[in-house]
Amino acid sequence: MPHDISTPVTRNVDLGHGNFLLEFDAPEAIHEMEPAQFFMIRIPGSEVLLRRPFSVCGLPGTFDDAADGTMQVLYKVVGRGTALLASLKPGARIDLLGPLGRGFQLPEGNNDRPVMVAGGIGSAPFPALAVRLAEAGFEPILLYGARTAGDLPLLDWFRAHCSEVEVTTEDGSVGERGLVTAPLERLIARLGPDRTRLYACGPDPMLRAVAKIALSAGARCDLSLEARMACGFGVCLGCVVPTHGGGPDGDEGYERVCVEGPVMDAARLAW
Amino acid sequence: MVKPDLSVEVGPLRLKNPVMTASGTFGYGLEFLPFLDLAKLGGVVVKGLSPRPRRGNPPERIVETPAGMLNAIGLQNVGVDVFLNEKLPELRKHDTAVVANVFGETVADYVEVCRKLDGAPGLAAIELNVSCPNVEAGGMVFGNDPEALAAVTRACRKATSLPLMVKLSPNATDFVGTALAAEAEGADALSLVNTFVGMVIDVERRRPALANVTGGLSGPAIRPLAVRLTRQVYEAVSIPIVGMGGIMEARDALEFILAGATAVQVGTANFVKPDASVRVVADLESWLADRGIASIRELVGALEVEPRKQT
Repeated sequence: MPHDISTPVTRNVDLGHGNFLLEFDAPEAIHEMEPAQFFMIRIPGSEVLLRRPFSVCGLPGTFDDAADGTMQVLYKVVGRGTALLASLKPGARIDLLGPLGRGFQLPEGNNDRPVMVAGGIGSAPFPALAVRLAEAGFEPILLYGARTAGDLPLLDWFRAHCSEVEVTTEDGSVGERGLVTAPLERLIARLGPDRTRLYACGPDPMLRAVAKIALSAGARCDLSLEARMACGFGVCLGCVVPTHGGGPDGDEGYERVCVEGPVMDAARLAW
Repeated sequence: MVKPDLSVEVGPLRLKNPVMTASGTFGYGLEFLPFLDLAKLGGVVVKGLSPRPRRGNPPERIVETPAGMLNAIGLQNVGVDVFLNEKLPELRKHDTAVVANVFGETVADYVEVCRKLDGAPGLAAIELNVSCPNVEAGGMVFGNDPEALAAVTRACRKATSLPLMVKLSPNATDFVGTALAAEAEGADALSLVNTFVGMVIDVERRRPALANVTGGLSGPAIRPLAVRLTRQVYEAVSIPIVGMGGIMEARDALEFILAGATAVQVGTANFVKPDASVRVVADLESWLADRGIASIRELVGALEVEPRKQT
């Protein structure tokens, strides 16, 4: 059940290249979250009207250096709302609505290999997922793609917490030059599609490409989607995506990223 | 100090307080149960209902604007039958006036939905949506033209004995004319205003921000426009007005009430603060109490426009 909470910021860490990790006091009522569930956040008194959605990046226990009872969201400054967020100092209060949506579920089979596919700031939900997976005895693999070296926030953290990390950049500034889809195809071939359990989050074109590869190989693939939202809890109907089964008669129609998502099975999307 | 009386009568519709929630911003009410007690509200107006379920418009459907938002949802809804069978039985357990917002593409559609709703247990009133700017047929087509509006109001008046409220479009050229047309055809009340048609352009892509090209503007940006239209209609008609447009807090609601609204609807604020509507109720009560005003009804239309004397 979502809560509407006013809470103080404890840290707002500048990770460079416009990426920030915002840490805040998290009351116990919201500690039980699934990775990729999200918050709607606004800064009280700001000129920005609507809240903005941010998926949970760190749960209590995800980051070793975090203060007790705090949670984190990872964000990139892209507009007015995120620029304001970046200006917040410890002690400043934020309005937080959450937890919202449906998050990532752990793999069904014990022999499954969880593979996280991240595009730039789309890595946001993966620290929480990586720790959950490790706690459950899985060895998570990360495929991390971005335009350039500066767009790979928390790369060192992932290298310390995943069994394998493969990096691609479009400009070749770090890792393999090209798109994340290349190592993805190799990895599915190596692990076998039946054992590969994919979790993807990133820009739309990346998600579409990942979904296409996963579906043609027959690998199970969950996507964490992003959309503009006014409310985040199912009433504005602003954040919909076309799906198979979302229509009035179980046909093609629209489903809400905020309630039926943000995590959706790649096979359900009618892209 | 006596507790101020917040109750109002919107024609035959009695409300425990003047605060309702606006259609399209409050789902079917049940989505808000984690955040508030529906019984604290004067009324709840549900998402527009059509004869059959509607898929709505393709995304992008919303974009934020200065002090507001533009939306083109396209009336995605479960349809009147699912509302009656699944939503209303849950909603009527809460002690608040449930108002069904009705939408159609033709007069016959409106009549069909009104007939189905007529006599439904737990339903307090009907609001005719003749002002949605985001659908090709119906909606604003009726709301823009006093004659078309008269025809749909007349037909629905015959189809239901429930209190009938007509929600007006601020995009009508002859806005007061549409208000008078609805009054003449038997509307019990007028709700105003629906959203203003607007457009946002993504200059880098040279494309509209919304897939529907245009959308309806709501939020604090439209409040002065809506308050002025409320006053204009108040001076022209004798049926009660339910005012809305960017109400975020009690003071905003009081602007509409002083301009002539008997009740108000809170809309976009529900997205930002899910409990915004009940906060308006609580703050209205303390505002009246602090000033020793016994009843909210004393303030309806109590705007003073004569210049104050110099002292």
